[in-house]
Amino acid sequence: MSEKVLVVDDDPDVQLFSVTVLEENGYTPLTANDGQEGMAVIRKEVPALVILDVLMPRESGIKLYRTLRTDAKFKSVPVIVLSGISKRSFLRSQNALAEFGGEKVPEPNLYLEKPVEPEELANAIKTVLG
Amino acid sequence: MIPDLDQIRRVLIIDDEPANVRVLSISLRSDGYEVLTAFSGEEGIARFVAETPDIVLTDIKMPGLDGIQVLKEIRGRTDDVEVIIITGHGDIDNAIEALQYGASDFINKPIRDEALAVALYRAKEKLALKRLVEAHTDELEIEVQRATRELRRQANFQAKLIGSSNDGIVATDANFNIVLFNPGAERIFGWDGSEVVGLRKGNDFYPPDIDDVFQSDLQRHETRKELPWRETTIVARDGERIPVRFSATLLYEETEMMGSVAFFQDLREVKRLEHELVQSERLAAIGQTVAGLAHGVKNVLQGFKGGSYLVDIGIEKQDTEKLKKGWAMIQRSIANTSDLVLDLLSYSKQREPEFEACDPNAVVEDIVLLMGDTARSHAIALTTDLDPQVGEVVMDPRTLHSSLLNLVTNALDACIFDGDTSKRFSVSITSERKTDGWLHFSVADNGIGMPAEVRARLFSSFFSTKGHRGTGLGLLVTRKLIEEHGGDIAFESQAGRGTTFTVRLPFQPVEAHSPPQP
Repeated sequence: MSEKVLVVDDDPDVQLFSVTVLEENGYTPLTANDGQEGMAVIRKEVPALVILDVLMPRESGIKLYRTLRTDAKFKSVPVIVLSGISKRSFLRSQNALAEFGGEKVPEPNLYLEKPVEPEELANAIKTVLG
Repeated sequence: MIPDLDQIRRVLIIDDEPANVRVLSISLRSDGYEVLTAFSGEEGIARFVAETPDIVLTDIKMPGLDGIQVLKEIRGRTDDVEVIIITGHGDIDNAIEALQYGASDFINKPIRDEALAVALYRAKEKLALKRLVEAHTDELEIEVQRATRELRRQANFQAKLIGSSNDGIVATDANFNIVLFNPGAERIFGWDGSEVVGLRKGNDFYPPDIDDVFQSDLQRHETRKELPWRETTIVARDGERIPVRFSATLLYEETEMMGSVAFFQDLREVKRLEHELVQSERLAAIGQTVAGLAHGVKNVLQGFKGGSYLVDIGIEKQDTEKLKKGWAMIQRSIANTSDLVLDLLSYSKQREPEFEACDPNAVVEDIVLLMGDTARSHAIALTTDLDPQVGEVVMDPRTLHSSLLNLVTNALDACIFDGDTSKRFSVSITSERKTDGWLHFSVADNGIGMPAEVRARLFSSFFSTKGHRGTGLGLLVTRKLIEEHGGDIAFESQAGRGTTFTVRLPFQPVEAHSPPQP
């Protein structure tokens, strides 16, 4: 059975793009529209990889990433961030949260800035999942 | 203070007849006086200088220096003595002469005890009074000196204060001749004090706006207690126009105009800093704009790339479904591009409102019609509460239309994004015509609401909580349109409870608006 990969993005077009890339490369895609939904799917399905957007309504990728990395059970689930936000901004917000009393979390396994080519995304997934 | 007559006890007796001296001495000593004696005018003067008696009792007729000469001699030295002249019987001329030269009294020979006692008493009284006055005068003089020193010190202090003030201070007399031009004024105006004081008029330096201040002072007939600052421009010696703050007043003593004073603060540095600040804010805004714009463009590009990827697969695999989805994605990306570009254009373009007679309530109804489908499909009640008094007014209906459309779209989104399933969502629009020439509109929702950090950044460019659906420019454009129309926008919001936006727009009644001539 192929590995499950969760795509968390509020943009249906990005979801469709990522899902297509996953399907074309033999993975089983799962989708969620925001951080809250994403966490629910992770708890239920325990995916092999999470592809995560940053700016989403309701709960952002910044929050979901922290939840994931501070949860003993999901600490090791790899994450590829796919966002229009630059890596620097994302890390800065994580550091700000860490300073705010949270623990320091490691950087995501890979960080892709939109726009991303399908081959680029496919290679990233393969790299992370080995 | 009562003069103390008992302090006056030293009496010098001058007579060339020793018998007379002895008799007088005995008499005076028994009355408690301290008696000095001399037997000639010359000896009398010597003893007077040596002993400084309080009262001198001198015979008028003496060989050598006579009584008048002794009197003159003593009066030439001091006033602090009383001289009583002893005259022969009927020698009234000499007595009068003696009084003219400053004798305090005279007594006739033969000397009767009563007459002597009265003369001495008067002399003592006179002397005591004189001493009292002198003491007072001394005190007064000391006081005057002290006050003078204090005044000088204060004047020095004030001169230093005026001299070291950063403010330019210019003072004139009642004829507006300059009497004071401090170093601060020299720096601002570029004139040396010595070229100005007493030589030029205040009007050569005062900005024209100062007349308003003086005119109003003239009516009040008193010096202002508070000097409000006003900004203006003065022309310095080299022709430079210098921005200054100034305050001024006419100076009154009682109700008489004594002069004028004006204070100037050089605003060049402040203006320069303000300018720099504006520049750096503009740069920051450009930076923010570029960053925000980049995010929007990245998302749009992702849409194009994703769409063409799907189209490629569709063509390759003869998969019509993928082809359709990919093409739709490209079409959406075109629409998103168009939204972003149009928002950007309307944000960056200055637009003058076009006023015309219109019915604002009809504009609201139009919005409800436009957004009704979206509201219904998300089970949101879209309601209105319109003031029939609004009627037809003169304003720009396009401003109202785009503003309300943006606010209602936001309100619906706030409900759609709210995950609280127990809520019955509603968005309501109200209109109200105020008597003061303003129309109030409100758009209220009971959706997701805004936490403090969102409220704080609400009107910043490219800030969006809508993920891929927002350009982060909508509200900014709306506020710009409203402000260009002379109105304002405000909001209240509570996380989880909802948000209310209030728009105030000025209007003209229709009758006041003359339609363009055909």
